[in-house]
Amino acid sequence: MTREEVYERLNKVFREVLDDETIELHDETVADDVEGWDSFEHINIVVAVEEEFGFKIPMGKTVKMKNVGEMVDLIMESGH
Amino acid sequence: MTITSLSFFLFLIGAVTVYYIAPSKFQWVRLLLLSLIFYGLAAKPVTFLYVLISTGMAWCVTNGMESGRKKKDGAKNLQTWKFIMVLTIVIDVFLWFFLKGREFITSSLWGLNQLFPSIRVIELPPVAVAMGMGYYTLQIISYTIDCYWENAKPQRNFLKLLLFCSFFPQMITGPISRYDQLSSLYEEHRIKYVNLAHGTQRILWGMFKKIVVAERCGIIVNAVWADFTLYGGIYTWIALLLYPLQLYSDFSGCCDIVIGVAELFDIKLVENFKNPFFSQTSQEFWQRWHITLGTWAKDYVLYPVLKSTRLQKLNKKLKNRFGKKAAKFITTAIGMAVLWLVLGIWHGAFRHIIGVSLWYWIILMLEDFLKPRTEKLNAKFGFKTDSFGWKFFRAVRTYLTYSLGIVFFRAKDVAQGFSFLREVGRTFTPSRWNPWILFDDSILKLGISYKDINVIVISVLALIAVAAFREKHGYARNWIDTQPVLFRRTLYVALLLAVVLLGAYGPGYSASAFIYGQF
Repeated sequence: MTREEVYERLNKVFREVLDDETIELHDETVADDVEGWDSFEHINIVVAVEEEFGFKIPMGKTVKMKNVGEMVDLIMESGH
Repeated sequence: MTITSLSFFLFLIGAVTVYYIAPSKFQWVRLLLLSLIFYGLAAKPVTFLYVLISTGMAWCVTNGMESGRKKKDGAKNLQTWKFIMVLTIVIDVFLWFFLKGREFITSSLWGLNQLFPSIRVIELPPVAVAMGMGYYTLQIISYTIDCYWENAKPQRNFLKLLLFCSFFPQMITGPISRYDQLSSLYEEHRIKYVNLAHGTQRILWGMFKKIVVAERCGIIVNAVWADFTLYGGIYTWIALLLYPLQLYSDFSGCCDIVIGVAELFDIKLVENFKNPFFSQTSQEFWQRWHITLGTWAKDYVLYPVLKSTRLQKLNKKLKNRFGKKAAKFITTAIGMAVLWLVLGIWHGAFRHIIGVSLWYWIILMLEDFLKPRTEKLNAKFGFKTDSFGWKFFRAVRTYLTYSLGIVFFRAKDVAQGFSFLREVGRTFTPSRWNPWILFDDSILKLGISYKDINVIVISVLALIAVAAFREKHGYARNWIDTQPVLFRRTLYVALLLAVVLLGAYGPGYSASAFIYGQF
């Protein structure tokens, strides 16, 4: 799967969880850039990503992820 | 020895001298020895045993975990180490609770006794508690979990880990640092003018907040609280509204001193406050107040609870039945309840759980519930939500919300907290209505003079000005750095004189403990 394909699916996940069709993610996107991405939605997003890509994001990564780029790296590393 | 006493500053001068003589890669050993000396001077030396036990357990388990990971059957090994890790955390919490939580047990029984008189109150005998136990315990737990999560690399040198847990400035009121934030502890440091200047600046600013503002506000607040039914009316409002200011200038003042002291050693500690009284909502307030405790609780309590299989299953069920929004609201409510319960227990008092935690749990859930509705209303009526007036109104509302909840932090028990609030509410009854006390000399009954009132007003204006500058342009110190030498020196001397001449060193003053030093 290419990085572009990951982004396409990831955008869909974010739009679905946060109910916002305008979301466009980039490597540098952080929680403050996206309306509604708070601590509670962060977990909902992580769980939705796990379901979409079929792998578990460890708790340590869930806590430490700094931006969307790191999330995409994780997805790519998982090989799904 | 408290950190506002003369003996502390003499110790500090000696410590900085020893630290910078012949910089080397073993400077951290000097820092550890200085921390041990400070502990010996500021607390009962024998209680350091608790720090040693907790650090020792963390050192064993994290290094064991690391070597277990490398072995052939790493996964199986890791399971065993996970069990041992949980056990050490339980022991840490038990140790803390056994020693610090004694007041919690007594106060809980006392609170329950008021509701159900058949429950008896048992007074537990006092025990010697380790200094900064509430803070270093959280640091050790975060270090252990970070190593398990592979967010930190285990420290192989026990003494280096001991320094992380006992670095002396933060033993008083935190901040609660993460292991990766303090890696500079182990580096070589050379003396730099900028560190000494910034450190001294920060210490002076902290002293100003503590001794000029907090101590003075404390005189008024304590006088009213000593007999609030006698004072009544507007007096109770003065105490109600002044206590958050006292608590803020006391706690953040202490953090300023701590951060400034660490800066003298070229160690950057994390910030614990970010202009909390500028917050527009209570949620924002808690992101700006005692930040390191909040982020600790978020990472190690809230996230694991929200991501737990059980809560996720419940979330799915609720989503199918009531829809996405309701599911989010309910799971958020559960996560927040656990978070605030933990924060309440950490503060070690039953009244804190009933008053502050329960109050804020309700307020934050209410904010969450009302947010989309108020946004719609604002749009409908065309309120200018970007205007100064609107922002000011919201900041005042947030301050008032905090004032009401924090009453239970000041009260000696739940009943006293409610009695105080009842008095506040009775202000508007004819027998209690006394606004003229603001205009005659009645207010002097509280043990202060007009000079004190003027000092408080001018100091608060100074605090607001510095905070407003930080909101807009970042730290004032960066601006000060760009000013001519004469201006900078005048500013330092003025601040020093303000602390020396305007400090509330009256009969009630002892280089006293900080409110948050008790944890």
